[in-house]
Amino acid sequence: MKNDLGIICAEGLSFFGNSNRLISHELKNILAIISETLGLIDELIELTDNGMKLDPGKLRSLSKSVIEEIERANSIIRSMNSFAHSVDEFITEVEINQIVRLIIKISKLDPSSRNTKIFFEETSQLILHTSPFFLGALIHNAMDFALLCTGPKKKIAVSSLQTTNVTKIVFSGLEDIKGIFPTSKAEVLAKAISAKIMLDASSGELLIEIPQTMEEDLIKNLVL
Amino acid sequence: MNVLLVDDEEKFVSILAERLSIRGIDTDWATNGLDALSMVKKKKYDVAILDVKMPQMSGIELKREFEKIDPAMKYILVTGHGSSEEYTKGIAEASFYIIKPFKIDFLIEKIREVMGT
Repeated sequence: MKNDLGIICAEGLSFFGNSNRLISHELKNILAIISETLGLIDELIELTDNGMKLDPGKLRSLSKSVIEEIERANSIIRSMNSFAHSVDEFITEVEINQIVRLIIKISKLDPSSRNTKIFFEETSQLILHTSPFFLGALIHNAMDFALLCTGPKKKIAVSSLQTTNVTKIVFSGLEDIKGIFPTSKAEVLAKAISAKIMLDASSGELLIEIPQTMEEDLIKNLVL
Repeated sequence: MNVLLVDDEEKFVSILAERLSIRGIDTDWATNGLDALSMVKKKKYDVAILDVKMPQMSGIELKREFEKIDPAMKYILVTGHGSSEEYTKGIAEASFYIIKPFKIDFLIEKIREVMGT
């Protein structure tokens, strides 16, 4: 039990650190674009002192670029805010699609996944009683593995569906399975929220099954 | 002096190239390693300024390919990451390792230092 708790904590911290690293890297890239664009606007204005004509179309395009980057930063900060709030309540009612969307957004910030297309087929609201943070960590773990296994097509389809007692998150398009999944750490993370992970290499699908209500004993030990 | 910028953020790299050109530094740019390699095969560059984290080929991997074509080329690595581990790896590979965002005058200072001018 103690070892499992240690793994859950370590995986949680790793997820937290990795997600923040990706977010901060992306925000730095955006700040760099804004800085360079405003620097160029400044220089073009200065050049008019030397008689050079300022092209209004160019100025408009550069201004539009700054606005686009600010919107991009805003979208990332909204994700960061959602991520931060995922620990407001340790165990609570969670809308699955919201968590999946957030994890996809965070995963897409990784430069190594930029060439992979991730499609999310959303269904209607799927509500579970679980740990939003550790569910996110598990989905992120699964997504990381899926991104390694896309093969030349570089496409992952993610879908969610709910049956009587169970919600399923499916990652499809894993055409080149690399390594073993779930790892022992992923299994412990899954156990923490009473979930199951199954990899079907022949169909190229990775499935996470989450019960409507999790067994709270393991996670509760983290807060006591 | 000819400078080659490589960064997968097109807006960043194209504008930075323009700003360097305004300052009299002849600068070309690419957004990926394959295009950059093609350019290096056709033109001699004195300094390559490479983003570390790019989707298909990292800045360090690209540097190693460039070295096979032009061993004399100098390198500045650029990144949005700031961990000390990455700094140690980066500075072992290049003359300078700069973290975004940075002031253009700082970059020019480093380009001049690398060129010994």
